[in-house]
Amino acid sequence: MDRNEIENLIARVALRDRAAFEQLYDRVSAKLFGVCLRVLNKRAAAEDAMQDTFVKIWKNADRYNANGLSPMTWLITIARNTAIDRLRARKKGHQDIDTPGFELVAPGPNPEQAAVASSEALRLSGCLDTLEQDRGNAIRGAYLDGETYADLADRFGVPLNTMRTWLRRGLIALRECMSQ
Amino acid sequence: MTDQTEFPDNDDIHAAELVLGLASDDDRTAGRRRMATDPTFAAHVVFWQERLAAMADSIDPVAPPARLKQRMLAQVFPAKRVSILERVWLWQGISVAALLFAGYLGVQLLTINTQPNQQPAVLAAQLVSDTGPLQVLAVIEPVSHEIALRRIAGEARTDRSLELWAILPGQAPISLGVLPDSETARILVPAALRSQAAQFTLAITDEPLGGSPTGGPTGDVLAAGPMTTL
Repeated sequence: MDRNEIENLIARVALRDRAAFEQLYDRVSAKLFGVCLRVLNKRAAAEDAMQDTFVKIWKNADRYNANGLSPMTWLITIARNTAIDRLRARKKGHQDIDTPGFELVAPGPNPEQAAVASSEALRLSGCLDTLEQDRGNAIRGAYLDGETYADLADRFGVPLNTMRTWLRRGLIALRECMSQ
Repeated sequence: MTDQTEFPDNDDIHAAELVLGLASDDDRTAGRRRMATDPTFAAHVVFWQERLAAMADSIDPVAPPARLKQRMLAQVFPAKRVSILERVWLWQGISVAALLFAGYLGVQLLTINTQPNQQPAVLAAQLVSDTGPLQVLAVIEPVSHEIALRRIAGEARTDRSLELWAILPGQAPISLGVLPDSETARILVPAALRSQAAQFTLAITDEPLGGSPTGGPTGDVLAAGPMTTL
């Protein structure tokens, strides 16, 4: 995806340009919908998250320049965080109503191995693979599935503080690997 | 598993935890606030956001359904309620009707040979509200002295009536009558008020079934508008 084109569209959206907003939607909605679906696993919930995501993009486009992120990272971060907020609300007992039969098949254990596009993704994937396997999986689980320390402690069957210490070591190793 | 001295803890880790969403709700709130005020911390957060977003590269794009775009656009750009004044076709229709009527009157006046200067004006008002849905169009027919009303939107509240009032400058509202449930209605302007019809402001209020018990309006004004000459 052309960085300049997306950046240009976001700048125009910041000026309340509806045509640019629709173009931006057409350019990136499939990617962002993929992200929302990956996190939420349900179409109806992912559609709601998408709607919230684009409302946020419209309202916050003027703050894009200040945050120093690349345009796709900014957009993906909004979509991913919006989806995870919904996921957590659901876990707290708000059930999403979804059409039966539309749930997506759960992804395999390591979807990062498929179709890695950018060098950044390759580097991240490589660095995650240098970690102990469980740590890499835990970090992936946190980013893509919205798992918290508490969820991860449950999944790995260890006390919360143990999980925190263990994962923090993973993050330090990941930072070192990616800063090289 | 470890003692406290080995417990890894620094800004970079907090930033990573914030980005991953591992932190507790309270910590996340604090972290977001710190991002806004602490550029060094914000740089750590940006580092992690940028690197971890690469995880999304493995996610295949999925085209969302077309209706989603429409729904989203409808939320971002809510449709403006079109005021009756902006409904060009309606005014065009009324203008044409008024012209035809004036033409008809002209012919009548010519054949009967009276003073052509006294062609009565057609008066109309759109009764609307900033807060409620009720919209009513009112036209005073010059010969019959009837107010022809058409309810465009909204209706009486449950078990309540709509009552029409004429308001003249500096005077208490005068009841013109309770409106029927139908969309259209005709109400005769009292003879004493006919000469001042051009100065009317018409208003519709929410009243108990059957109309105001006091002779003056008792409920909310649901729609109002001044008379204009067409």
